[in-house]
Amino acid sequence: MSQTDPRIDWEAIERSPEFRELLAARRRFVLPATIFFLAWYIGFILLAGYAEDFMAESVYQGLTVGYCLALTQFVMVGVLGIMYLRRAEHVYDPLADELARRALAASSADDAPADPSQAPAR
Amino acid sequence: MTIIAATNVEALVIFAIVLSITLVITYWASKRMTGAEAFWAAGRSISGVQNGLAISGDYLSAASFLGIAGLIFIFGFDGFLYSVGFLVAFLTVMFLLAERMRNAGKYTIADVLAFRLRERPARTAAALGTLTVAAFYLIAQMVGAGVLVQALVGIDFSIAVLITGVMMLCYVIFGGMLATTWVQIIKAVLLMTGILVMSLFVLERVGFNPIELFNRAAENTTAESTFSLGPGTFLSSPIDTVSLGIALVLGTAGLPHILMRFFTVPDSKAARSSVVWAMFIIGGFYVLTTFVGFGARALLGEEGVAAAGTGGNLAAPNLAQFLGGGEGTFGGDLFLAVIAAVAFATILAVVAGLVLSASGAVAHDIWSNVIRKGHDSEHEEVLVARIAAASIGAIAIAIAIIGGEGLNVSFMVGLAFAVAASANFPALLLALTWRRFNTACAVTGVLFGVLSSIVLVIISPKVWPGADAEGGALSFYDLANPGIVSIPLGFIGCWLGTMLSTERGNERQFAELHVRSETGLGAEKSGVV
Repeated sequence: MSQTDPRIDWEAIERSPEFRELLAARRRFVLPATIFFLAWYIGFILLAGYAEDFMAESVYQGLTVGYCLALTQFVMVGVLGIMYLRRAEHVYDPLADELARRALAASSADDAPADPSQAPAR
Repeated sequence: MTIIAATNVEALVIFAIVLSITLVITYWASKRMTGAEAFWAAGRSISGVQNGLAISGDYLSAASFLGIAGLIFIFGFDGFLYSVGFLVAFLTVMFLLAERMRNAGKYTIADVLAFRLRERPARTAAALGTLTVAAFYLIAQMVGAGVLVQALVGIDFSIAVLITGVMMLCYVIFGGMLATTWVQIIKAVLLMTGILVMSLFVLERVGFNPIELFNRAAENTTAESTFSLGPGTFLSSPIDTVSLGIALVLGTAGLPHILMRFFTVPDSKAARSSVVWAMFIIGGFYVLTTFVGFGARALLGEEGVAAAGTGGNLAAPNLAQFLGGGEGTFGGDLFLAVIAAVAFATILAVVAGLVLSASGAVAHDIWSNVIRKGHDSEHEEVLVARIAAASIGAIAIAIAIIGGEGLNVSFMVGLAFAVAASANFPALLLALTWRRFNTACAVTGVLFGVLSSIVLVIISPKVWPGADAEGGALSFYDLANPGIVSIPLGFIGCWLGTMLSTERGNERQFAELHVRSETGLGAEKSGVV
């Protein structure tokens, strides 16, 4: 399967602080966000299963607690989606692009016999 | 308000228009069919917005459109629970899989699963997971297509299934992913337009006040109505509700035809933005389904329940006919015909995506990598893919016609989601994130997930309606939805496989997969179609 550039030192990149920083940055958002949305969603499902009367209570005329909570799920999806998109564009993408640029530069530097420097200036 | 038997001329004309458009697209796509990357990944040329629409078109089946509108019409709130689960599922897809799939994969989910494993057993397991999900889902959609087209247009069930199957095979065999994608995009636009127009008609009747619609719906019930603005009318067992909810939210992230869509975009950035587009389109769609379901309740009332057929599937078309002026009027027949054509386009787009993903499992995974060990030409791979698609399509058509209308559609869709959540999702997630993941883990994980879902559904009360119509084959087990048991079993299967095997993970390959999936370094490049 792996037929990518054999000159790229994957293990070195994986150990590198830049890669660790990217992982940590992504995890700082994705982990709490995943726990939050699963908890909020499963909480909603539990209420729908076990608290029928509470969910059927009227908030305003025909609008029930159940529908209000269901709507919060829709809002949650939209908000978390946009938040992730923004973070990815402003934080993760620059980190990942920089990492990829350096790795490719390092692998082509290995090819150039007269140039021992790791990262050629660009 | 029965609309059975008499052939609806308007519907036939509109059907013919929709089918012609899709065939023109297929012809255009077939001219650009250059190889395996074009066939399965549309040359990775689909933009984020286009892919967002195509994901929506791939995902929103007739069960989502007619099924959920019907459930809301008959049961109220419980029908809406499905919508919430189907939508929230896209957070799972976005946070855990979408970008990683694009970065690490090529054409199928097995490419990601088997990346750092021994190819043959791992790919075989992954193909098994894909084929099981695709088979159940495909047959369910085909039967649904037959029932709907028969009811809406007056064509015989078997012929309706046959037409659906032949169209689906045309798109896939001649146009591959490019044609399938554009069929899905057009379907998404038709579906969103159709449901928006219906919702506006409904809201116009209540002065554009949704609360008034809720009130009118709640008033339009009789003593025997099951309709309620609170939960518990359709899903009466709490633990089953929870089990279903979990299977919905994790199952989407294991559906092969949805995950395959992420290989069609140029890079992970487009994969990410396509999920967000899909979230907004699908979220908007489910909000509008509520208006249609409540509109049917408020305007058609309890008398409409009998006319809406099993599960209320015909509630939306019946409502369209009512809104257009009623049965026998030109407006009524026309609106009914338009909604029927939208429902038909909906099914076509979903089944095409399913057949394409199944052909990938057979041709790219089993044939090319397991049997031929990667020594076949690209030409051969695409040829085998077309033969595989034709065979899978023919088998699905045959089963749908032989099984007939008696096949329980919702039972098979439930099974497809359970297998996706219990077999494909755990194995994929661990393949991408768990350092110790190995070949045995993939094989036992997928087997545990597939077998536990199928066995639990077979012994469930859906299959064994006892004398009291409550208990299943075993008195202590009465879950209709296996997710809450089978998903943990899928993860346990993975863990057991790893513990019992002596195989050492390859550090270099894990490093490559890890870096590649997180950064896109070394990912498949976007070609030109």
